[in-house]
Amino acid sequence: MNWRIVWTLVRKDTKLFFRNRFFAFVSVLGLFAYIGIYYLLPGSVDETIKIGLIADQIPPLFEDLQEEGLELMLLDSEAELEQRLLNGDITVGYGLPDDLMAGLLSGSKQQIKVYFSYDFPEELKDAYIILFRELVFMMTGQELNVQADEVLLGQDMAGLQIPPRKRMLPLMAVFILMIETMGLSSLISAEVEEGTLTALFTTPMRARELFVGKGAAGAGMAFFQAVVMIAATGGLRREPVLILTALLLGSLLVTGMGFLMASGSRDLMSVMGWGILAIVVLALPSFSVLFPGLFTGWIKAIPSYYLVDTVHKVINFGASWGEVGINLLALLGLSLAFLLLGIVTLQRRYR
Amino acid sequence: MNTFAINAEELTYRYGDLTAVDHISFHVAQGEILGFLGPNGAGKTTTVKMLTGQLRPKEGKATLLGLDFARQPKKIQAQIGICFERTNLYEQMSAKENLELFAQLFGVKPFDADALLGRVGLTGRERDRVATYSKGMRQRLMVARALINQPSILFLDEPTEGLDPVSAEAIRNIILEERQRGATVFLTTHDMLEADRLSDRVAFIDQGKIVALDTPHALKQAYGKRRLLAQVIGSDGKLVGREIVLDVPETPDTVHQLFSQEQVVTVHSEEASLEDIFIQITGRGLV
Repeated sequence: MNWRIVWTLVRKDTKLFFRNRFFAFVSVLGLFAYIGIYYLLPGSVDETIKIGLIADQIPPLFEDLQEEGLELMLLDSEAELEQRLLNGDITVGYGLPDDLMAGLLSGSKQQIKVYFSYDFPEELKDAYIILFRELVFMMTGQELNVQADEVLLGQDMAGLQIPPRKRMLPLMAVFILMIETMGLSSLISAEVEEGTLTALFTTPMRARELFVGKGAAGAGMAFFQAVVMIAATGGLRREPVLILTALLLGSLLVTGMGFLMASGSRDLMSVMGWGILAIVVLALPSFSVLFPGLFTGWIKAIPSYYLVDTVHKVINFGASWGEVGINLLALLGLSLAFLLLGIVTLQRRYR
Repeated sequence: MNTFAINAEELTYRYGDLTAVDHISFHVAQGEILGFLGPNGAGKTTTVKMLTGQLRPKEGKATLLGLDFARQPKKIQAQIGICFERTNLYEQMSAKENLELFAQLFGVKPFDADALLGRVGLTGRERDRVATYSKGMRQRLMVARALINQPSILFLDEPTEGLDPVSAEAIRNIILEERQRGATVFLTTHDMLEADRLSDRVAFIDQGKIVALDTPHALKQAYGKRRLLAQVIGSDGKLVGREIVLDVPETPDTVHQLFSQEQVVTVHSEEASLEDIFIQITGRGLV
C-alpha cells in the first residue's frame, strides 16, 4: 500500500467534494439545521397528566390523585372542555353529573361522559374509563381487596423521561452519515462519467489504494460532521470514546453502502434515487427510538439499528462498553462486510 | 530480451461476438514515432487500451520496455504517458491542480507545473478551473498531463482531432520535441497528413487487422505512383491538363516532348498520399 498515493487521493476527493456546490451547501446547511432543530425541540418531558372535569367541585379521592402526577382542572361547560381537549391543554375530560356523590350513595346508576381528542390512542381509552370506575368504587367504600405492588425493571425514569430532542439524535446522526455517503457516491459516479477514473488507473496507483483513499475520504467527512453534530448537542459528555467508536464504525458502514450505491449508479440522479431509498430504510431504527414499541424484532435486520441503539443507549442511558459491546461487534462486522461488498462490486463494475 | 519499446504479439480483443482487434503483431523501436492509422472503429483505440493496461487482451501479449504487461502493469504505467481520445480532466480543479495531482500519483519530485503549462501554451490560465477552458486548451492540458513523468513511451490517441490549426500545430511540435528527447511515440490518428509528417513508420489498421506497416516513403514507393501534372495551352487557346507518370523508363522522353512541343503554363509533381494508399489497400476511405 502506497500511503502517499492514498493521502493524495483523500485530499483530491475532499477538495472535489467541497467544490460540488450542492453537496457542500447541503452538508454545511444540514449541520447547522440539525443543531438548530435540536435546540428548538423541548429539552424536558412534561410527565403530568392533565384531566378536565365538568363538575361543581373536585370529588373526594380525585384530589389525592393530584399528588400522583395528575393535574385536575375544573371546567364550566362541555364546550370549554372540548376546546381545551382539542388545544391539547388537557389529556382527557370527564363530564360528571352535579349530584354524583349523592347519586352514588343512593345506589342509582350514574351517567358520566369521558372525552378524548380524535387522535387519542385507542388502547388507552379503556384505561381512563377503568380509572374512573375504580375511583367510584373507592369513593363508595367498595374498594377491591387487591394489593398491587409495583416492580420496575431497569432504571426508574419517573421524572427523568428522555426529551424529544435527545431521542432525535440517533436519527440526525444517520441522516448526516447518509448525506455524506451520497456525496461520496456522486463523486465516484462523476469520476466514471467523466473518465477520470480511467486516467487514475493508468498511473502507478493500484485499485486498493483508490478504494482505501475513497473510503477514507468518505468515512472521514461523514465521521467529522457526525462528531461535530453530536458534540454540539452535548452528546459527548458521557462515554465520548464509546460514542466516537460507534460513529466511526457507522461511517465505515455507510461508506460501504456508498460504494454499493456508486456501483449501481450512472449519474447524480441515480445516486439520489439510491440514496433516498437507503436513507428511508436506514432511518427506520431511529423511529423506534422516537416512538418506542413502533417496530418488532425485525428492525434488528437493518444494519443501522446497531448504530442507533448504541448512540441512544449511551447518550440517553449512559450505557457502558459492556452493555453495548454486542452492538459494536455487530456494527464492526456489518461495516467490514458492506465495505468488502462495496469494493468488490465497484471493482467488478469499473475494471 | 528485445530492445523494442513496444512489442505486440498476436494481440486480440473481442467485445462479445465482435472482434475489435484480431491477432495483430508489431514492434516499435525506442525513439521511434509509429503512426497507427485507420478509420473510426478500425481497432485503434482498443489497441491503445490494451497497450496501456486499460483492457486485458483476450489473446496475445504486449511487452513494453522489456516488461510483460500481464505481470508488471504498474511498473510499465509508471514509465508511460497517455493522452486519451476522450478528454478526462478534473473539471472543477485548475490546470495546475490537475497536473500536480498526477505528478503526486507518479511520485514526480520536484515538479514544476508552471513550466509544463508554459510548454503547452497555457501560461496565464494555470489557476483557472478546467471547466472554463476551450476544447483546444483542454487538449493541450491533456498532452501536458501525459508528459508529467517524462515518459519513455507516449501514447497519443487522436491528439489533434477537432482542434484549431494553432492548437494542432502546438501539439505536433510537442510530439517532435518528445521524439528529440528520446521518447517513443505511439500516435493514433486518422489524419493521414499528420501521420505522414510526424511518423517514422505508419501502420494501417482496418477491421482489427494490420494491413500494412512501413515507412511512409516505402509505402508510397510500393503502392503509389509519382506523377508530373502540367497545364499547357491547347490548339484552341484554352488550358489543357497533361499527366506524366514518373519512375518509368519512358519518363525522360515524355518530359522532353512536353517542354519541346507544348506551351507549358504550370507544372508540378505529385505523389500518392497515405490516404490514397489506404484506399488502394483496403478499398475504403478513412472516415
